[in-house]
Amino acid sequence: MPAAISAEEDRNDVDRVLAGEVQAFEGIVRRWQGPLVNMAWRYCRDRGRAEDMAQEAFLRAWRGLAGWRRESSFSTWLFALAANVFRSELQRFPAVNVPLEDVAEPAVPATQHEGLAGKQSDESVRRAVLALPHRYREPVVLYYFHEMDVAAASRTMGLPEGTVKARLARGRELLRKRFPHLNQQNTPQLRSTLRPKKEVLQ
Amino acid sequence: MKPNAKPATDYDAAHDAIDRTLAAEEELIPSSGFLAATMERVRDEAACPKPIPFPWLRAMPGMVLAAAVLVWCGFELAQVGLKSVQEISFAQAHLTAVDIHALEPAGWVAIALVASMLSWLFARRLAGRSGLL
Repeated sequence: MPAAISAEEDRNDVDRVLAGEVQAFEGIVRRWQGPLVNMAWRYCRDRGRAEDMAQEAFLRAWRGLAGWRRESSFSTWLFALAANVFRSELQRFPAVNVPLEDVAEPAVPATQHEGLAGKQSDESVRRAVLALPHRYREPVVLYYFHEMDVAAASRTMGLPEGTVKARLARGRELLRKRFPHLNQQNTPQLRSTLRPKKEVLQ
Repeated sequence: MKPNAKPATDYDAAHDAIDRTLAAEEELIPSSGFLAATMERVRDEAACPKPIPFPWLRAMPGMVLAAAVLVWCGFELAQVGLKSVQEISFAQAHLTAVDIHALEPAGWVAIALVASMLSWLFARRLAGRSGLL
């Protein structure tokens, strides 16, 4: 993800845009479209809407480019701005109105094809994140978007790490209570796809 | 606890399963037209003339005048109010039933104003909490 993206290229493109070269913004969009669309997708789980929200975030970045004070990296600034955009968009038109208790729990895999059951189960858990109360939802979304990096998630949210950790723990606890049998269902098949953990909570 | 370590309890296993599920999400590739569409919006925005800044210099005399009138009105009102209060408290120490009857609507107006003010503050507080303000 963003680690591979050159900070130098970002700085150059920003300088060129600020000097009046509109076309230089294309480099920024090209490099960051993937991360921003994926981030928006995790906020709403609707592809079309995710692209609209990411586009809006780019537009806001274009308008506020002069406001990047270069104390933090461009990615930190961009993600924080995007999170603000996504948050306000979802406040205007929420992604889901289903309470957490109403999110369907996956069926027992033995009765179905295992692969399909696993996929359904994963999707149920991911959708359940959107049904979490607002204060726990965003830390969960951003923590996993930033590959389990609490510091990055807290920078994006503009909150202290301790606050993010506490909300994250509560959010995960709510998910665990909602899906008590999850560990028995999809542990083996998902183990192979696990990314390296940067920080483990609890 | 390491990511691939065997979970100690059901509790840990459930957390591990949630971690695995949410961390192992597939990457979404933006649609082919996303870059072009975004740049088109950016170009449109760049082509738009910049908003005209508010003419503070021209508006200044008018604003100063308005402020002065407001201050003068406030001063006059305070003077009249003070005079009335003094008259009530000293010259007419005992209010007659007629006076009380005349003051009753004013009391209701004051209560309505306070209620409006409180509901406005409450609504503002709610809106602020939800991030609207």
